[in-house]
Amino acid sequence: MSPSVAANPYLAHPVTIRKIIIENEAKDLKTFRLEFCNASDRAGFRHECGQFAMLSVPGAGESPIGIASSPLDAEYIEFTVKRYATGAVSSALHAMDEGDRIGVRGPYGNSYPLAQMEGKNIVIVSGGFAFTTLRATIRYMLDKRNRARFGKIVAIYGSRSPGELLYKDELKLWQESGDIDMHVTVDKADQGWTGREGFVPTVLGEVKPSSDNAVALVCGPPIMLKFTMKPLLELGFAPDRIITSLERRMSCGIGKCGRCNIGAKYVCKDGPVFTYQQMQELCGGQF
Amino acid sequence: MAQGSIKKADLGKLIEAVRRDGRFFGPIDQGDGACLAEVTPDAVLKLDYANFTLPPKRMFFPRSEVIATHEASGMAAVPVQEGQVVLFGVRPCDALALTYLDKVFVDKQFTDPYYRSRRERTLVISLACREPAATCFCTSVHGAPDGRAGADILAVEVGEALVLESLTKAGEAFMTHHAKLFASPTPAQRTACDAQASEAAKKVSAVPIDGLKAKLSGCAENAGVWDDIAERCLACGVCTYLCPTCHCFGLYDEQVGQTMRRVRAQDACTFPTFTQEASGHNPRTRHGMRMRQRVMHKFCYATENFGDIFCVGCGRCVASCPAHLDIRETITEVSQ
Repeated sequence: MSPSVAANPYLAHPVTIRKIIIENEAKDLKTFRLEFCNASDRAGFRHECGQFAMLSVPGAGESPIGIASSPLDAEYIEFTVKRYATGAVSSALHAMDEGDRIGVRGPYGNSYPLAQMEGKNIVIVSGGFAFTTLRATIRYMLDKRNRARFGKIVAIYGSRSPGELLYKDELKLWQESGDIDMHVTVDKADQGWTGREGFVPTVLGEVKPSSDNAVALVCGPPIMLKFTMKPLLELGFAPDRIITSLERRMSCGIGKCGRCNIGAKYVCKDGPVFTYQQMQELCGGQF
Repeated sequence: MAQGSIKKADLGKLIEAVRRDGRFFGPIDQGDGACLAEVTPDAVLKLDYANFTLPPKRMFFPRSEVIATHEASGMAAVPVQEGQVVLFGVRPCDALALTYLDKVFVDKQFTDPYYRSRRERTLVISLACREPAATCFCTSVHGAPDGRAGADILAVEVGEALVLESLTKAGEAFMTHHAKLFASPTPAQRTACDAQASEAAKKVSAVPIDGLKAKLSGCAENAGVWDDIAERCLACGVCTYLCPTCHCFGLYDEQVGQTMRRVRAQDACTFPTFTQEASGHNPRTRHGMRMRQRVMHKFCYATENFGDIFCVGCGRCVASCPAHLDIRETITEVSQ
């Protein structure tokens, strides 16, 4: 038997970049809206909130990127990618235009436990560009087909400055809707900013979301995660009710290449979603 | 189970028969120790080797291979070469290592089609060890000079003959197919096989492996012992490339002329850039952390994930380390 494309986990499916949205002032965060070239590839790509996929630019390489669109966004999938000068793939992606073709394989990894979160209150805490898979989760939960299945949803999202906030139009819609208690904050305000100013962990302490029948989903830079755990624990969230997502360099995405392990667990296949309790067991809760 | 014996001088006939519809790889001297290479019936096989310089994992998981090309319609897999392959002379430790690689590359959720395809079309004839090297320690890590796991047929040298015993259905079919080349082994030959194996086992060095996992688990990433060992390591990666169970790799996209292609190449957890991310962040900044990763992967994480120690005691890493690091001393040192 020769390797066929269908059964070959190392081959990317061709996708077309339908839309590129420049998300921030620094222009190093872009959202890529992708459409599968083949309908059968689209039908085979069924993701859940929190999963990632490998994005590839022919000739440049592949990178694992969290899926920023909701599973209910049927026509397309979206990825928000930060460009690093030292990153071959992110630089190549940022140089691409709408209409260009790239590759996607996946979805990979586990997901946020949305089935177990039904009937519970949801607290989302996020900072910077780690917001992407939580944006997917919020979109999913706020869909009118799903909203009634979840209790109160409180979200705190922050960035360094107003210009660095992702998904600005969506944030505004969410803040105006009654479906979610959305708190947007910036580390440092500028002249035009009328919203909240303060670090995410501080705002969490001010908002004081109840831990009663609640689950917390937390994604952000390591420093934010470190300072967010204490207030969450003080609010009464048990370590197994605090859910976070980890990142590591990956090559295969399917638990074979040996690159992304923390202890005996592979972030690509046993993660990327872990509870804080699991993280304490794995690596002493270090981010 | 099929049994048979064949004179070493008649191996050419077996090679000739196999080559009618496949390829035969056997041990030959290429001037740099024994090498597993494709041979013709007139080849002079070298049978007095401790082990091959390079582990046979390369026959299933090459150091580097082009796995796909980018075409107008999408990616196209590069097929692996058709036809049966017979590997003769694989040492039992390396055959055992194949059973570990099977667990990594062929699982229920994701199967590596390149590895599986080669594994399915390859028949492994292992050759029991008579003279283990000073660096061998197979008997401490679930192996034996006449170990049977991972091979389709086990061959044992008895005087001027080889005594063969099939271990799998594929091995039995092979021996039946070539039955006219084999004689029935005599009771004396069978007795000699067992005596030889127990004699060889006495020459294998012993490593204290009992309770190792618990001891290693208690040795944290920041324990100074890892940095002490790492200070002696040149980070050349030879231990990983020569290890029959090391399977870390990378996928690389490259352009050669007008062709865009995807390459899979062996990589090593002992290299500093192995875990370095695009942002510059690296979860394993110190060499001691990388040294620990390699040892822990083999002796702890693999046992948690697969129930096996991913070390077969072949001793290649010991024999080839330019800094004379010895995994037997390392695990003893760390677990004290």
